[in-house]
Amino acid sequence: MDLLPSRDQLELTAAAAEFFSEQVPIAGIRARRDEPASLDTKTWLAGAELGLLGLSAPEEVGGSGLGLDDEALVFREIGRALAPGPFLGTVLGARLAVLAGRPDLAASMVDGRTAVALAELRDGSVGPEGLGGRLDVLDPEGSTYVLVLGEDGAALVETAALGDLEPLAGIDPGTRLASATVGAASAACWLPADQEPLRLRALVLASAMLVGIAEAVRDQASDHAKNRVQFGRPIGVNQAIKHRCADMAVAAEAALSQTMFGAVALQSGRADREFQVLAARIVSSRAALDGASANIQIHGGMGYTYEHDAHLYLKRAQVLDHLFLQRTDALGGLLAQAAAQ
Amino acid sequence: MDLDFSPEQVQFREEVRTWLTEHVPREQRPEEPAGMREFDLGWQRTQWEGGWAGIAWPEQYGGRGLTLVQQLIWYEEYARTGLPGIDANFVGLSHAGPTLMTRATEEQKAFHLPRILRGDVVWCQGFSEPGAGSDLAALSTRAVIDGDELVVTGQKIWTSFANIADHQELLVRTTRGDSKHHGITWVICDMNSPGIDVRPIETIEGGAEFCEVFYDEVRIPLENVVGGVDDGWRVAMSTLSFERGTAFTANQVRLADTVEKLIDTAREHPGPDGRRPAIEDDEIARRLATARAEVAALRAMTYAGVCRNLRTDTPGPEGSMLKLYYAEVAKEVGRLAMDVIGPDALRLVSRWAPGGGWTGNYFYSFSQSIGGGTSEIQRNIIGDRVLGLPR
Repeated sequence: MDLLPSRDQLELTAAAAEFFSEQVPIAGIRARRDEPASLDTKTWLAGAELGLLGLSAPEEVGGSGLGLDDEALVFREIGRALAPGPFLGTVLGARLAVLAGRPDLAASMVDGRTAVALAELRDGSVGPEGLGGRLDVLDPEGSTYVLVLGEDGAALVETAALGDLEPLAGIDPGTRLASATVGAASAACWLPADQEPLRLRALVLASAMLVGIAEAVRDQASDHAKNRVQFGRPIGVNQAIKHRCADMAVAAEAALSQTMFGAVALQSGRADREFQVLAARIVSSRAALDGASANIQIHGGMGYTYEHDAHLYLKRAQVLDHLFLQRTDALGGLLAQAAAQ
Repeated sequence: MDLDFSPEQVQFREEVRTWLTEHVPREQRPEEPAGMREFDLGWQRTQWEGGWAGIAWPEQYGGRGLTLVQQLIWYEEYARTGLPGIDANFVGLSHAGPTLMTRATEEQKAFHLPRILRGDVVWCQGFSEPGAGSDLAALSTRAVIDGDELVVTGQKIWTSFANIADHQELLVRTTRGDSKHHGITWVICDMNSPGIDVRPIETIEGGAEFCEVFYDEVRIPLENVVGGVDDGWRVAMSTLSFERGTAFTANQVRLADTVEKLIDTAREHPGPDGRRPAIEDDEIARRLATARAEVAALRAMTYAGVCRNLRTDTPGPEGSMLKLYYAEVAKEVGRLAMDVIGPDALRLVSRWAPGGGWTGNYFYSFSQSIGGGTSEIQRNIIGDRVLGLPR
């Protein structure tokens, strides 16, 4: 039993963190605000080159063959860095392609040539034959496929098959949003949920990103509390500030521990894996949303400006909180589970 | 990372489960002090005779010499029996014992540690005073050296089980100087010494173990000092970090079972509308699910904490995060139960009653964010020592 990162995992996450802080600075989100894609192709390919898209993919398709715990630790860094771009969709898409017997497709995702956007079904349905209905698509620019999670399984559908996408104003400057209404589009790949619970995997990686956000806002708020001087003292001496930072730290720690527990539970096929993953999503969403809100408050007027990063954490956290599963469904789903193992 | 227990650990769990099934006390724990003492010590003695006392304590002091993982397994299995905590044995096993192990002389260890494990003695903690609660170093109970004895005069308060204890880990002021942290001495006090007056304090839960203790020229041999005269603050801090680090593992593990029991109750007990089961009320259902998620996270944090302790040996300030999170979740669970049981919330049922009493548990939950350092003090520690915020 070991829930702490190994030396190898610490090296892996340090390398990922270094890549994001050097190549994908948060200020870039503001700079690219009016660009069609939230991340430039060169940086996307550099990330693929580093192996970020194939961590858990088998070596036959160019992946590293690592575990979901390794991948979750890297997605925590993606969340911490607020890195834009279709990382989540492409990594999940590669997993789907491998399990659906399309290693060629998976290989082109792992090396960055084929990007996969996430699509949320607003109404309609998705199945082995394909999908029909109304969709919201995240970061569609440059994508070849969209990934759609349904009740019975997950599908990859060609982005071109969705017809005209209508760009929408999204809440997060780092996430492009569009909607599509599709009569019928066939699935390039279909993975039944009883073969692989891809939604749980998606929830683990989203939870890991939320953990990264919760830790980032904890650190940003604490730094501000150390340096911002009012009434002749750093504001962090006041318990009104200090205790809020402490609460952020505890929530982030709880979210991290549970997310890693959920990742390992899913990976090892424990009977209570769904219980553990839903719990991870619930505590990590709350840690990120509460923490990002507190961070804005602790920064005062500055926290309310577009120029500051504080709102970017909140907005990404809201996007992730609403992906794959709404909170009431997560809570209902958790209560419907048998007790933890 | 993995959640797998080794074959030896799995077998250990099997043995624990079998033994507990056969040996856990079936009768209700008496509520009057003498009966409570006999019950708690008797249960500890049974564990010792079965070879289960001091699982992670070194063999040389009568323990099993196993790791915190086995200790965790014991707590998990123990929680499943539905028995309340180790209670009167808590200070000896989780506080005084570990402190003696790190700071005491070999003679002190050889004398006291086996007695704790065997269930011969009850320990209590003499730290807080009327004028020194969160500001523990402000303590003023005085000890004057007279020959080879300390002569202690003053008052301690919030001393659980002082009325049935044999020994006390007592903090006294031996030197009054510029630094309030210097001049404190940690000493083992015999609770049967002349000059000690123990008076019970009734709690909001109605328990019989809470006390205040008065010392009127109580004479304690100097050889009972642990860690040196005037150096007691360092000794006390090691005790407190143990308390926050690993001593609450049992409570954390038990809280998950409490939540499951509450969910079962909510499936059967009529909810706010008096007709449908409580769990069909949306608000109650969401709070139950949130509590489930939080106790899952508490368990994951506990596991991570055990792993950290295996790597580093001494509990650090992370223990305060666990303690704070546990206390806040425990209080929410206590309060949620009052909503689940609806009008039955008017009836006082002790948490020691068979099946557990939700109303008694509710009032007891308030102690969890006060005892062992308030949640506010834990937030200060996290702010100062984990986040490095200015003081």
